[in-house]
Amino acid sequence: MRVSASARMASRMAACAVLAAGVTVGATASAETRLTLGITSNLSTVNPYGDSASHLYGLWGEIYGNLCRYSFDKGGYVGHLAEKWETTDENTWIFHLKKGMKFHNGTEVTAKDVVHSFFRMSEDPESSQKQNSARKIKSVEAVDKHTVKMISHKPTSSLLSYICGLWAITSKDAYDKYGAKEADKNHPYGAGPYKLKEFVIGNRMVLEKAEGNPFLRPGSPDIVIVRKMTESEQRVTALLNGEVQIAQFIPPHLLSRIEKSKNARLVPTSSVEIMFLAMNPAMKPWDNQKVRQAVCHAINREGIVKALLKGQAQLLQGPIGPGQYAYNPDHKPIYDYNPEKAKKLLAEAGYGDGVDVDLYTPVARYVNDKQITQAMVPMLNAVGIRTKLHTPEWVTQWANVRKGKVPFFYQGRGSVIDPGPALSQYFETGVSPRIKFSSAEYDKLMQAERAAFDEKKRIATLRQAMSVLTEQAPACFMWTHTLQYGVANNVDYQPRPDGRPYMSEATMK
Amino acid sequence: MLTYTVKRVVGTVPVLLLITLLVFGLLQLAPGDPADILLPEEATHEDIAEARARWGLDKPFHEQYLNFLVSAVQGDFGESFRYKESVITLLAQRFPATLELTFFATLLAVLIGVPLGVWAGARPNSWIDNFGSVFGFFGISMPSFWMGIMLILIVSGYFNLLPSAGRETYGIAGPTITGFYTVDSLIEGNWKGFFDALSYIIMPAATLGVNMLGILMRVTRSAILDVTHEEFVTTARAKGLSGRVVLWRHIVRNALITIITVVGLELGTLLSGSIIVETVFAWPGIGNLLINGLGTRDYPLITGVVLAYTVLFVTVNFLIDISYGAIDPRIRFD
Repeated sequence: MRVSASARMASRMAACAVLAAGVTVGATASAETRLTLGITSNLSTVNPYGDSASHLYGLWGEIYGNLCRYSFDKGGYVGHLAEKWETTDENTWIFHLKKGMKFHNGTEVTAKDVVHSFFRMSEDPESSQKQNSARKIKSVEAVDKHTVKMISHKPTSSLLSYICGLWAITSKDAYDKYGAKEADKNHPYGAGPYKLKEFVIGNRMVLEKAEGNPFLRPGSPDIVIVRKMTESEQRVTALLNGEVQIAQFIPPHLLSRIEKSKNARLVPTSSVEIMFLAMNPAMKPWDNQKVRQAVCHAINREGIVKALLKGQAQLLQGPIGPGQYAYNPDHKPIYDYNPEKAKKLLAEAGYGDGVDVDLYTPVARYVNDKQITQAMVPMLNAVGIRTKLHTPEWVTQWANVRKGKVPFFYQGRGSVIDPGPALSQYFETGVSPRIKFSSAEYDKLMQAERAAFDEKKRIATLRQAMSVLTEQAPACFMWTHTLQYGVANNVDYQPRPDGRPYMSEATMK
Repeated sequence: MLTYTVKRVVGTVPVLLLITLLVFGLLQLAPGDPADILLPEEATHEDIAEARARWGLDKPFHEQYLNFLVSAVQGDFGESFRYKESVITLLAQRFPATLELTFFATLLAVLIGVPLGVWAGARPNSWIDNFGSVFGFFGISMPSFWMGIMLILIVSGYFNLLPSAGRETYGIAGPTITGFYTVDSLIEGNWKGFFDALSYIIMPAATLGVNMLGILMRVTRSAILDVTHEEFVTTARAKGLSGRVVLWRHIVRNALITIITVVGLELGTLLSGSIIVETVFAWPGIGNLLINGLGTRDYPLITGVVLAYTVLFVTVNFLIDISYGAIDPRIRFD
């Protein structure tokens, strides 16, 4: 029997495919436990102070260790490399390091390493991405081997939110011996539960368990592979066919594929990214509080969450929601969906005949952002706020927002665990030009919360500030998204609301 | 030949200059500033101004461009704002992945598209011609991002035959020698690594190559039909040569110039297509790097990647031109 050349080629291709599939499956069958995490964001630099993305804070924290972290279970900051801390006056913070904590090369973590880490963040231009984390602090000194003294520029009761989970503690000895670049690349000695085995820029990061590290849990994976997988279809497929064990951020339209799977499940977590519609009072008609309040009453948030977010969001009644520091379940005022009230407010503001506005949203930056704002347009039109929607590229929108050039925009602010810094950044007079909102009452409350070291007093002040902010409405606070992770059934993992992938908290069954 | 080569190389210089000027100019015109995008949300105006000064963005356009040219001539394309790594290093790490993908896509297109076109051209209006035409149009009209997602869903998701994304299974590939994983694993005698690399490249290469395959099939068919009606073919047949000999020795060989020219031109499309395909399959090539660079207005990286694509395109077309001489001895380069 003669077989044509093309038929032979086809059969060889098929054989190759079958063999290759065998190789792929075989690769995962090994004595060591491997966990692959499919993430959406970039793996940009091997410099642990070179990027301020949330997932990188988490990954570097797992390698180098942090002084402290936020525990969502306990609702407060807990020690990591630090055992405890205290304030001796409004500007002085004393951190006591745990004794016997070792870097991966066997040397002990001491106060001089904390001082060095502060130095790298504040002085090294290559580490400028994290300078803000260090900016609140005037000086850091080693009191003794295990005690660090930090002096802040001004009383800052929320100082821990600038440090915990953000500062990676790197080895001074490695830096002195090799220099920053060489130490980061080839001698990344940390004190975290994982060692950095490989870092392929923009593509993959491989972590190897640091045997004997006290932060490891029984069942923590031996090898963690972090893969950048931007496409959501790709992450879901890779999860379902066993290429990855955890897939980040499953969008609403793909949830059913995982729900139907026998190999994986959905694990939700609420997010600490607050979504809001910002209105810049430096521009008309947003200088009028009643117009801003009218917007908040005009939007049917429940309808949007139900129809466009498939229920995967929690409505915000104020700037923050449950699980975030100083959340007030009895927060007031509340903006219900009330088009009649919106029309009335608009008329009271002198816009009885309606007003023309421009709304801006990025596309594909946030879940269904374009569709959500498209749905808002007829709602706003219905009350007389004639809205024209603009959908610039994120890069353009963000640059303009930062310069205070955008009048009305849909925006998210991530990592809002303690709302003090974020609410100061966006709404306190002169802190940033993004919204150009100014309220003497609000400013006074924010200054008071920063100076309040008594927790009860601080929470009460923050709640008061958030009520004033909601009342004066420089933004309508919309919702926080429910983040859905796809997790293989052989893995126990509870993702964190701040998106930090602490992989030692995952265990393999 | 030497004169021709020197002329071509010298002719490339203004092309590269023009490309760099265009990229530089367009990036300056594009809205969005790298410092605004890359610095954290908490960054102040002072932070942004400091970063702009450190990256040289506070200088006038002509000064930035001249600085770039002076450095580029010395082989320094600057440091990526985002990755804090030299652009040359990043290109060296990523370029082999794009070349390997492009090579396999071209191979697939040529090995399937050309025989199918020859077959269809040799038997016009037969079932194979009709099948080839449908196949060709399918390849031409298929958007690569859609085909990529469909392949992921069906081949990886439904049948679980091939991995959906990436370039290798961690721990299987041996040491990097050439940067081409299939070649490196063969050099090392690592068959497991070879088939692993092959399993990752099949879907992206098929997605990238399908358009070229369709065009090659159609062009080959037309070229074969054109040459078939030439007098020398009638003469060859009159001499009593068999149909197969006439087809492969006389018709195909004379049609090759057209086919190779199209391969060269289509390589440009293939290279630009690789940007999308690399994103869909998380393929760690320079296309993927370019997308990341564009998203953050990483000027040195974008300029470096575009230059790399330009050099590759010019080189491939130069090689195609050189190959004319080998195919048709009547062509001289003097």
